[in-house]
Amino acid sequence: MKHPARWAALGVAVVVGSLAVVLASQVSTNPQAAEQQSRLVGQTVPRFTVHTFDGQTLSSRSLAGKAVLVNFWNSWCIPCQQELPSLKMFAAEHAGDPSVVLLGILRDDTVGAARPYAQAEGISWALADDPGAALSLDFGTRGQPETYAISPGGLVVGSEYGPASVKNLDTLLAAAQSHP
Amino acid sequence: MTRRRVLVWGGLAVLVVGTLAWAAWPSSGATTPASRASELATELRCPDCEALSVADSDSTSAEAIRADLLRRTKAGESDAEIRQVYIDRYGESILLKPTSNGLGLIVWVLPVVALALAAVGLALAFAKWRRQPRLEATDADEALVQRARAG
Repeated sequence: MKHPARWAALGVAVVVGSLAVVLASQVSTNPQAAEQQSRLVGQTVPRFTVHTFDGQTLSSRSLAGKAVLVNFWNSWCIPCQQELPSLKMFAAEHAGDPSVVLLGILRDDTVGAARPYAQAEGISWALADDPGAALSLDFGTRGQPETYAISPGGLVVGSEYGPASVKNLDTLLAAAQSHP
Repeated sequence: MTRRRVLVWGGLAVLVVGTLAWAAWPSSGATTPASRASELATELRCPDCEALSVADSDSTSAEAIRADLLRRTKAGESDAEIRQVYIDRYGESILLKPTSNGLGLIVWVLPVVALALAAVGLALAFAKWRRQPRLEATDADEALVQRARAG
């Protein structure tokens, strides 16, 4: 070997180059964008049954045939409170449409705290508890608020992390309605 | 290479290989569903915490995951199947330890490659230095030093 230092430098360059190629080809160009999309999108909605504050029982089966937005929230989180006006506006827009359902699921909160808050805020859509955070876990939630769009056929077609605007909610609904 | 040197290097090699083997050997002695669930909880990142494992967090999500892990281990699901359930839900970022395949392999392989390259580099450098003749002081050099010291 005539020039060992050159060979060593070449070896290092090959390793670094290979690493760069692997990273460039396998890592998303926008990792944050990947984190903003639920892994559940494109999959069948987890089977669930929840009991609403007003005593109804709703399930993935009973909601079949409707476009459903599931919103994970709690009463003490500031981003959820910031999102509330958008949800109210969205709910008012679709109040007369039986094919659209907005369902709020408590995430990390108690019914005792959330019920008076909902009454004080005049929340009109269905709200349900999630004992043991089972549904929150099945959806793979990372925090709150998070909103998931479910098509009438039971497919999760979109998700939104953080406070959603009315436009975001309309986009999620349009995605749900455009799928069978 | 003298016999003594061979013994020293051989002993060192045995020590390094032994330490690496001990470190890499699967240490899991978890056999009961509860102990397996506890061990899996240390491997999963709490989804709504900054840098805590499910085992270390007291958030509602972490509690729910711990309960889910116990339910799954009791149901007879393997550790790999349970890990995959969580990867499917949250992505690979739910694992505190990178996986040993795909992109995660780089994390494990790169330090080994770097160490191997460094070892080869050192071996080449030592060999090169050994080939260089040792400098011996000539009589003229000795005389020069003597004169300088005598002032």
